[in-house]
Amino acid sequence: MTLGREDDPGPPSDAAESDAPALDPAAREELITSNLGLAHQLARRFLHRGEPLDDLVQVASVALVKSVDRFDPSRGVDFAAFATRTIIGELKRHFRDKGWAVRASRRVQELYLELGHATGTLVQQLGRNPTVAELAEATDASEEAVIEAIEAGQGYRAASIDASESEDDPLSARLGERDGNYDSVEDRALLGPALAGLPEREQSILRMRFVEGLTQSEIAAAVGVSQMHVSRLLSSSLQKLREGIGQTEAGRR
Amino acid sequence: MTETTDRLESGDRVELRFPARGDLIVLARLVTSAISARAGFDIEELEDLRLAVGELCLLTLQGSDAQHGDLRLELNVLGDAIEVVCTLERAGIASTFEPEGVEVARLSEQILDALVDEHGRESRDGSVRAWLRKRRGGHAE
Repeated sequence: MTLGREDDPGPPSDAAESDAPALDPAAREELITSNLGLAHQLARRFLHRGEPLDDLVQVASVALVKSVDRFDPSRGVDFAAFATRTIIGELKRHFRDKGWAVRASRRVQELYLELGHATGTLVQQLGRNPTVAELAEATDASEEAVIEAIEAGQGYRAASIDASESEDDPLSARLGERDGNYDSVEDRALLGPALAGLPEREQSILRMRFVEGLTQSEIAAAVGVSQMHVSRLLSSSLQKLREGIGQTEAGRR
Repeated sequence: MTETTDRLESGDRVELRFPARGDLIVLARLVTSAISARAGFDIEELEDLRLAVGELCLLTLQGSDAQHGDLRLELNVLGDAIEVVCTLERAGIASTFEPEGVEVARLSEQILDALVDEHGRESRDGSVRAWLRKRRGGHAE
């Protein structure tokens, strides 16, 4: 079953293609009609790349016709296998020709920003944080795409903790995931030793901000100081953490 | 904008185990995206791998009574390639033969033919195992 085949070789290099004898029109029609379902199924496999199904089905159907015209049964290759390779090759070429890769990475970033707005709106409407399913519905994206956008969004974040501190950023405020260098699980793994070195009140404020996801104003109300003071405390605590983590990493080398 | 993704190197291995349910194959796809991005695959190769891993899971589930089984996914970074092994564990063989299952499996295999460099499937000791291997930078066009 193992086949050492090239990725997307396209029709010209496929073993089944040759100066294929032309089928009579009725047989050709029959072969096309009986494989339209295959074209449809393959088109659906590419739906998550953001193109309308109708367009994909059209590309797949044209590719099916090509594969019927290029197929040479005397080569002993199964038609469905040949057609599948041709159709997938054409679908991939379609995305490539449309500059899909560039648009896709832009789409992820746009969806991430869109999720921020949708989260804010839904928090107001629902009186609680939205679920991924609700965010998916609000942004007209699949749940998988929403999860990926949240995850990928972490890679497109400003590096400064202080610069990204914003009271009105819904994702930052509600998901607690855009607060800078220390928000990923990986980063948090480094935090333990550094955190233990901070005064208890600063540890507590950091926990409220980054673990519980409270805004600076909410922390200020809880602790009984001004929001500006919370902001200053966070900045100074984070600076100490950076230094502490630097020492931890240096110690590991 | 800063890209903070950390690279995975040859020899790195990630394993995921989840209940063998079709609606959870999304987990396999998400992990595949994350791993292939960190292994240096470009976005088109990443999407191909994601699609292929979905088919690999489907293929592993075919012909099995997966009601109580687990799918175990291993992703191995091997030089400029990724190897994905999907194993169905703790599930019996289906008591009824489903002809459409054969068709589904055949389509999955044909899709894998078109998307990856190598793939295979075998049954051993009561568990079904399907695998694929894909190199990066392998666009023929």
